[in-house]
Amino acid sequence: MRYAFFLGCLIPAREPNYENSVRKVAPELGIDLVEMKGANCCAPFSIQSLDYATWLALAARNLCIAEEMGLDILTLCNDCYESLLMTNTLLKEDKETRDAVNEILSDVGLEFKGKIDVKSFIDVLHEDIGLEKVKNSVKEPFNGLKVAVQPGCHLTKPKRIHFGEWMGISALDELVDATGAKSIAYEWKEACCGGPLRGIYDEVASQVAKQKLDGIRSSGADCIVTVCPFCHIELDMGQLEIKRHLKEEYNLPVLHFAELLRMAIGIELEDWEIGAHRVPLTKVLKIKEGK
Amino acid sequence: MSSLDVNFMHDVANTPRGRGILTCIQCGRCTGSCPVARVIDQHNPRKLMEMTILGLRSEVLHGRLPWYCLSCFTCLDRCPQGGDVGESMFAIRNLAVREGNIPRGILVQAQSLFDTGRVVTPTRMALIQRGKYGLGKEPKVEVEAVQKILRRTSFDKLINRGS
Repeated sequence: MRYAFFLGCLIPAREPNYENSVRKVAPELGIDLVEMKGANCCAPFSIQSLDYATWLALAARNLCIAEEMGLDILTLCNDCYESLLMTNTLLKEDKETRDAVNEILSDVGLEFKGKIDVKSFIDVLHEDIGLEKVKNSVKEPFNGLKVAVQPGCHLTKPKRIHFGEWMGISALDELVDATGAKSIAYEWKEACCGGPLRGIYDEVASQVAKQKLDGIRSSGADCIVTVCPFCHIELDMGQLEIKRHLKEEYNLPVLHFAELLRMAIGIELEDWEIGAHRVPLTKVLKIKEGK
Repeated sequence: MSSLDVNFMHDVANTPRGRGILTCIQCGRCTGSCPVARVIDQHNPRKLMEMTILGLRSEVLHGRLPWYCLSCFTCLDRCPQGGDVGESMFAIRNLAVREGNIPRGILVQAQSLFDTGRVVTPTRMALIQRGKYGLGKEPKVEVEAVQKILRRTSFDKLINRGS
């Protein structure tokens, strides 16, 4: 299956690990990733906070690029997913807004037509590829690794543009279980990581993340698995901030879901990839090797 | 307390994404659902809606209050009135920035967007990693098109990048 591959800003800029693992996993599952030439920032909540028309026009420009390719968008980041999916839904439904946005886009020679869909990596794996095929690709299952998933906010919220909060989270649970690991329950599973406030009000971001990490630690999880690069940075590097400022230490390794799946498929992480994780992956790698 | 502005609620309602303010019944479910309200007292979405309805324009727009929201949309999904509290927050912020209230962290992202087409650009570490993995340089953004759009919407002036 072919998709217009929307990388966004944060993944190339901070989390090449995530992109690399997705590119390694994709051919194993028959996913063909086609680059989106010239695509811009999705216009996440920070930009939406400043100006409405700017948000819609920037997001719509990306949608138009995918329309010209004739492909649905596959996006890896929850913020990109929210911005592109909300814009796509709104512009398809509301002619007045669509006309206003197309007026802006005419300056750059584009027109939003509403011909494609926007999908997350989890949507694609669970709905398009299917759980069975994902299960069958697993050659080296994690035997009982206890995983606290961090679905993040916009994989499932707001529900008016999704199937429903818990259905989206269940899809991720099932995909984690397909790797031979076990997605376990914990307090505040559906809650935000605090990441959107990082760099704005750091002390508040840390407190929100701490609340989440407290719930995860109490659950007895071996590690955290994220789908969004913001959540990944907040929960991985965030643990260092929390240790420094709130004097609490967790030592919970954080993996991108794509990394978990990749290892289960049997494609090992390279030393550079392991080393990029702020909290060492030692515990996960030991369990993987059956030690 | 400063003077009340009776039009403030309607100014918010007439700003894109702001309609929900008109239907707020002050039940407080947004605050009960909010991950930030659980950890700090300063952020209370119900109270911010109340201040907006009462017309406390300056108190709402000029401090930190609009900027504590994570935009996680938990309140949006749980609001018994159809869920537009989380959306109203964007309307309030859009008005706040027009009165010069932009946190530095957000301004930096917006200026980066204008200059590069991205809200964040790769660190040296990320570029080294990309090289090691054979991913090449980060994908190229068509910056001229982005700037055309940002000038058209007057975003450039909002973030001190106007010519």
